[in-house]
Amino acid sequence: MTGFRDLTLAVSAVACLLLSATHGFAQQPRPDVGDEPGLIADDSFQLDPEYRKQVVLYRTTEPPGTIIIQTAERHLYLIQGNGRAIRYGIGVGREGFQWQGILNITRKAEWPDWTPPPEMIARQPYLPRFMAGGPGNPLGARAMYLGTTVYRIHGTNRPDTIGTAISSGCFRLVNADVADLYERVAVGTRVIVRQKPKL
Amino acid sequence: MRTFRSGLLIGLAVAVAVAAAAITYERYDTKTLKRTLRRDAVLCGVNTGLPGFSNSDEKGNWSGFDVDFCRAVAAAIFDDPTKVKFVPLDANERFKELQSRKVDILARNTTWSMSRETNYDLYFPAVAYYDGEGFMVRASRKANSVLDLGNTKICVQDGTTTRLNLADYFKANNLTYEEIKFGKLEDMLKAYDEGQCDVATSDVAQLYALRLRLSKPSESVILPDVISKEPLAPVVRQRDDDWMMIVKWTLYAMINAEELGVTSKNIDEAMKSKKPDVMRLVGTEGEYGEDLGLTKDWAARIIRHVGNYGEVYDRNVGADSKLKIPRGLNQLWNAGGIMYAPPLR
Repeated sequence: MTGFRDLTLAVSAVACLLLSATHGFAQQPRPDVGDEPGLIADDSFQLDPEYRKQVVLYRTTEPPGTIIIQTAERHLYLIQGNGRAIRYGIGVGREGFQWQGILNITRKAEWPDWTPPPEMIARQPYLPRFMAGGPGNPLGARAMYLGTTVYRIHGTNRPDTIGTAISSGCFRLVNADVADLYERVAVGTRVIVRQKPKL
Repeated sequence: MRTFRSGLLIGLAVAVAVAAAAITYERYDTKTLKRTLRRDAVLCGVNTGLPGFSNSDEKGNWSGFDVDFCRAVAAAIFDDPTKVKFVPLDANERFKELQSRKVDILARNTTWSMSRETNYDLYFPAVAYYDGEGFMVRASRKANSVLDLGNTKICVQDGTTTRLNLADYFKANNLTYEEIKFGKLEDMLKAYDEGQCDVATSDVAQLYALRLRLSKPSESVILPDVISKEPLAPVVRQRDDDWMMIVKWTLYAMINAEELGVTSKNIDEAMKSKKPDVMRLVGTEGEYGEDLGLTKDWAARIIRHVGNYGEVYDRNVGADSKLKIPRGLNQLWNAGGIMYAPPLR
């Protein structure tokens, strides 16, 4: 069972990064600009005040404990009830990798491992075949899986990408924030993802 | 000869009558839109200086949330947001100046209340900004809510409703506090900065402006709680419904634009949209602009020149400004706040 779980973990991690890798290549002069394996997260990086964790007023009929992600704003809200939410700054999916819907957290993992997909290895042969979880891992300190999709809420080794639309549909937080959120939510937590309306 | 003289007299009488009528008309013409068009500018009463809401630089360029609202009205009417004359007004004279037609709109961080409408014959078309009393406290205190502020020293300005609200709220919640009163806001800020009190209370927008002036702004936080209602709204005169409708729907168009995702950046794309809500807003369907006495593209003009509600908020008081006030109550109704505009249809 554990083996199967780990496999699922690896497969979705790969899918997530693979998407980011292939598309990043087409759009960016430098491939995989949003994922730099091996780069040790700069924990002293100062987020823009807008993206720092803070308690804000948030009125909703969703029950406390629900996560609401407002992608256009680059904010993730953890509903607290009594008109409050804890707000975190996030990095979101870029153009073409935006989605909305309601999913549940189906699994949580600390310092998830990373197995780069063959396509990525082919393009960047210097990449590790397997990368154990740790501060240099693009998935960061924690991961929370959304439903059975390849999408997840995870940490990052690139805190400077918070506030940007760079991922393949995953939501990234700085490691301190993702660890904080991780402690506050359980498997089964409802996650509502909202996009800006289309014209 | 006689006929010539009487002819002259009659002519003179007619001329006098016409002149008198013209003067009377000019004086008593209550059609603000017509006056505005004749003048080729909207007269906008603003605050003499309030960070984020109304400020003028050395060159006399005005900027701010209230300023942008008047620019939006000018954009709707003239397709030119610069056709506004800003008239700085102090708090005491603002309603009189509006009544006596020195300004067409008062956009001066003014709280909508019943007595202000009934006593001054004025009308507040719609709420532009939900403010309210909030609390600034040192971050090291780790307070999450006003309810964590029991047994603290609280700095407050004397002679304000802020002070009364504070007393009511703490009493209602069985919290004790030590009140330290100040005549001037400046003195209150200084006292807080020097650590004479643990907490400072004022309206939230003001607290964000005050925090910037602390010696260490990042060491203080403003709690998300709002304990009073201070709905700030533009003001117009009563009995000029056509003008009131223009002012009201200018604001609602901006809020609806944000809800529909129409921005100053994608307005050209929005003009080609086939989505009925968007088409009605930008004027590619219906005659909503004409019904206001304006053009079909009135709302598109507002959005193109000034932006939607969120853009105006972010630029002046929100994330892209120095103040960085979270949207809070002023977020859209479907995104955590209470900003809600009736549909444009």
